[in-house]
Amino acid sequence: MDDLPFSRRELLGGVGAGLLLPQAALAAPAKPRVGGRIRVASLSSSTADTLDPAKGALSTDYIRHYMLYSGLTQLDRNLVPRPALAERMESKDQKNWHVRLRRGVTFHDGATLTARDVAWSLLRHKDPAVGSKMATIAEQFAEVKATGPHDLIIRLTGPNADLPTILAQSHFLILRAGQKDFGTANGTGPFRCVQFRPGVRTLVRRNPDYWKPGKPYLEEIELIGIPDEVSRVNALLSGDVHLVIAVNPRSAKRVKASRRHALMESKSGLYTNLIMQQGAMPTGNPHFVAAMKYLVDRPLIKRALYRDYATIANDHPIPPFHPYYRSDLPQTSLDLDKARWHLQRAGLSGVRLPVYASPAADGSVDMASIMQEYGSRVGLNLAVNRVPGDGYWSTHWMKHPLTFGNTNPRPTADLIFSLFYKSDADWNESGWKNPRFDRLLLEARGEADQARRKQLYGEMQGLVHDRCGVAIPVFISLVDGFDRRLKGLYPMSTGGLMGYQFAEHVWWEG
Amino acid sequence: MAGASSSSGVKAALSLIAKRFASSLLTLFLVSLVVFTIAQLLPGDAAQEALGQSATAEQVQALRHEMGLDRPAHERYASWLSGMVSGDPGQSLVANLPVSEVISSRLPNSLLLAALSALVAVPVALAIGIGSAMNRGGKLDRALNISTLSMVAVPEFLVATLAVLIFSVKLRWLPSIALVADDMSWGDYLRGAAMPILCLSIVVIAQMARMTRAAVIDQMDRPYVEMAVLKGVAPVRMVLRHIMPNAVAPIVNAMALSLSYLLGGAIIVETIFNYPGLASLMVNAVTSRDMPLLQACAMIFCAAYLILMLIADVTAILANPRLRAQ
Amino acid sequence: MTASSLRWAKALPLSAKIGLAFVLFWLTVAVVGPMLAPYPVGAFVAYDVFDGVSAQHWLGSDYLGRDVLSRLLSGARYTVGLAAAAALLASATGTALALTAAVGGPKVDEPLSRFMDTLISIPSKILSLVLVAAFGSSLPLLLLIAAVTYVPGNYRIARALAVNLAQMDYVQVARARGEGRIHLALREILPNMIHPLLADFGLRFVFIVLLLSGLSFLGLGVQPPDADLGSLVRENISGLGEGALAILMPAVAIATLTVGVNLLIDGLKGKRA
Repeated sequence: MDDLPFSRRELLGGVGAGLLLPQAALAAPAKPRVGGRIRVASLSSSTADTLDPAKGALSTDYIRHYMLYSGLTQLDRNLVPRPALAERMESKDQKNWHVRLRRGVTFHDGATLTARDVAWSLLRHKDPAVGSKMATIAEQFAEVKATGPHDLIIRLTGPNADLPTILAQSHFLILRAGQKDFGTANGTGPFRCVQFRPGVRTLVRRNPDYWKPGKPYLEEIELIGIPDEVSRVNALLSGDVHLVIAVNPRSAKRVKASRRHALMESKSGLYTNLIMQQGAMPTGNPHFVAAMKYLVDRPLIKRALYRDYATIANDHPIPPFHPYYRSDLPQTSLDLDKARWHLQRAGLSGVRLPVYASPAADGSVDMASIMQEYGSRVGLNLAVNRVPGDGYWSTHWMKHPLTFGNTNPRPTADLIFSLFYKSDADWNESGWKNPRFDRLLLEARGEADQARRKQLYGEMQGLVHDRCGVAIPVFISLVDGFDRRLKGLYPMSTGGLMGYQFAEHVWWEG
Repeated sequence: MAGASSSSGVKAALSLIAKRFASSLLTLFLVSLVVFTIAQLLPGDAAQEALGQSATAEQVQALRHEMGLDRPAHERYASWLSGMVSGDPGQSLVANLPVSEVISSRLPNSLLLAALSALVAVPVALAIGIGSAMNRGGKLDRALNISTLSMVAVPEFLVATLAVLIFSVKLRWLPSIALVADDMSWGDYLRGAAMPILCLSIVVIAQMARMTRAAVIDQMDRPYVEMAVLKGVAPVRMVLRHIMPNAVAPIVNAMALSLSYLLGGAIIVETIFNYPGLASLMVNAVTSRDMPLLQACAMIFCAAYLILMLIADVTAILANPRLRAQ
Repeated sequence: MTASSLRWAKALPLSAKIGLAFVLFWLTVAVVGPMLAPYPVGAFVAYDVFDGVSAQHWLGSDYLGRDVLSRLLSGARYTVGLAAAAALLASATGTALALTAAVGGPKVDEPLSRFMDTLISIPSKILSLVLVAAFGSSLPLLLLIAAVTYVPGNYRIARALAVNLAQMDYVQVARARGEGRIHLALREILPNMIHPLLADFGLRFVFIVLLLSGLSFLGLGVQPPDADLGSLVRENISGLGEGALAILMPAVAIATLTVGVNLLIDGLKGKRA
């Protein structure tokens, strides 16, 4: 985490030259070779598959979009935003940003990229008819205006030092202005769309005119979805696919036993958490919250559920490898005596409480079973209600006093806190309200000084750890499986398959 | 005897087909009503599911309007029904394509898989059923009995996963997933579909074989068979000429039932082998609350079932002299 | 009483005796199994997952390090109970409706048959998916789903048999004698279709066991930490590659139970003939 503390002002312009070195070349001394055709299996595939980055909902979409489109910025392996379509991106006040675009970038249809395309691509997120997943984030775009063919201004509603990181997400990838029909893709990305059949497959071919010289390396990629994990791993082991996302730790042994295959673990901020509604009783009782946090056997969850492909968490959403992680908070651990004491203080001994878990929140059913088991030892009768994944998020999540949530890694601390912990956030899962936390969050967002930022985020972690109605047992590592002939992979904490961006970095030796 | 009765059989069959056509429309209507009603019980709607948790109220509003979900349920059903009557199954809410287009990319896959599985399963089941009935109580009968029972006694997903482990992961003979592309050859298709066909066949063979055996044995105990045996009719001729015409009604019924499973019941096989068929499309339509697509899938499954049943009943009439008179 | 049932059992053919042994074994397990379980069904007792046989864990540990034997003993109750109840319910309802249709004439037959067509032509697993998503998973709902799924199938077969039998001379004679419809259905038709129906019941039982396991594949089914035998197979499926007992034992349990039921039924038929 040594290379993060840049002042945002100089960051992008300053390191622009470094971009000429391909990232993968830095990663491995081997010289990448062009050619090869691979098949990649992602989690799911359905009629909702889309070529519109704004609508991307699942890993399969993100992967597809990163193959076909490019963004203004791109995160490197340490989550530092690097210039992509934007050659420079500068701001003195973190509010008014000036963007200068790279010249000579062409779309797959031959048209040249201009500032108009960028402005259109960003502003469409504010149109409700587009149905963008980033609509709430895009509300901060007060104005996006082209000031020249390669220059534009982004004016925000308030300072946000993380804008370059936010724009690196797949939803903000750049389209040709006016694009309406998403039957096929017209981007500036490393691959061109050959065939797109929702729910079946996406076939892409190398874009020889890609703006990164020499890249990409693969000639063709076929992307399919295999929802069933056992089938996905079998497809890898039988050689039918060469790269799979989301290998269950239980299958790790099988993949490791194969000489032809290997696993890549990406430590990530992904977590499944127990949500205790603060607006309801008894879950709103601080003693109850404390008791539940003492009932979580984190090492058992890490070992039994995740086969050690996880990192112990401390009831706040910042993982230990994060640059803003606060290391001096005491670790909560299993303590049945303290749990019993808190339950008695809350007057809840012998109470029967339903807890809702679902396959939709990874591992929640098993976590609930574990808590039920320990609960029974301290006089708390938790009744596990396993509900189907279908409809879980709309009908159960946050709707009962005790439910489970599942939060994907976000590229910045600000995003995770703003989306899930701010008092007025839609997904403030436990409904806790902490004015001090909200103030710190706004202050940190506009703060350019890294040391000060770390301090602010540290205090916020403490507040969530002590007061918030969520218990976060572990951070779940992302595990991908790959054919050893596929080279150039490295882990990214933002998502599986190198933060969904493997396509332009990897090459095939076989 | 043969000439006169076969023409009366054809007549009876034709009148049955005519009668069935009307009642089939009624059944289809009932199915659409049932499916629509229970789908209304599901939480959320297509707009919410498509936009996900991050949706703002305005977005949901806009999309609902665009999808026409802001109209009352009975109005939506009526407009779907009137579209259906004029031959237009409507627009898929999620895929943004006409339903007919979405279906046409999956239906041939499903039909092909079902047809090939039936092609394997029906002769095998008939052979096993008749063979073990003729050998009632013998070694062959017992062996076949135990093996069909064991075939059906293992969960489908276990058979499928085991087959993948053996044939793809260990031996590497067959692909572990059924990849279906437009430009693939028959050989490639069959290689990919071999295991799905095998798994589906295993499920239905046992049921069909056991019902065949039971029906044949049931007839063998009848006086007319005993009479024929006394007269010295050869066993094979006995089964084909005397027993089968009488046993055919329950047999074809059981077969039609089993075969209808090959379309809609293929969901587990489709999931494990990633086969792009109709059943997984329908599950898709349920989870995304894509009503027009869901309805279309339900209509297809229902129609397939009705056609199979009609074939079964017509076969029964043509084969059985008593039913012909009805 | 005991002596006579012993004599009855002795008269069965060998295969039926084996079947009877399996059925009795699983019935016993279903009744007393949970009491014999060495550990609570949801307890995490083994350090390792997918352990082999050991003194503490006779059948090893499952994917979370729970005791396989304990889970198997309690899982059998769900599978035996649910499948037997649902198969009985489905067969009784289906056959009763089929007899009604056969003696009731077209006015009864037509609407009943159309209604059954409606039920059967909606794929059962997808219907279950919708129902569970709408109403949440519970034992009565599972029972209902299983029964509803298999009533139409039983009805089809029973109706085909009954309609065929209703044309038989002896039934026509009885009808001419002026016997009532209930008499025709229960005395003349039903006894003559019992063989195929029994075979059908055995198969329905198997199918319901498998439907339950299929539902667990789709994430529906009995609530955790409990599990029916099919769910046990499903939840441990990742141990298949290493041949874990956690997946083999429930699979063997399902096989012996379902094969046992069918062998016994086949034997019963053999005796009557």
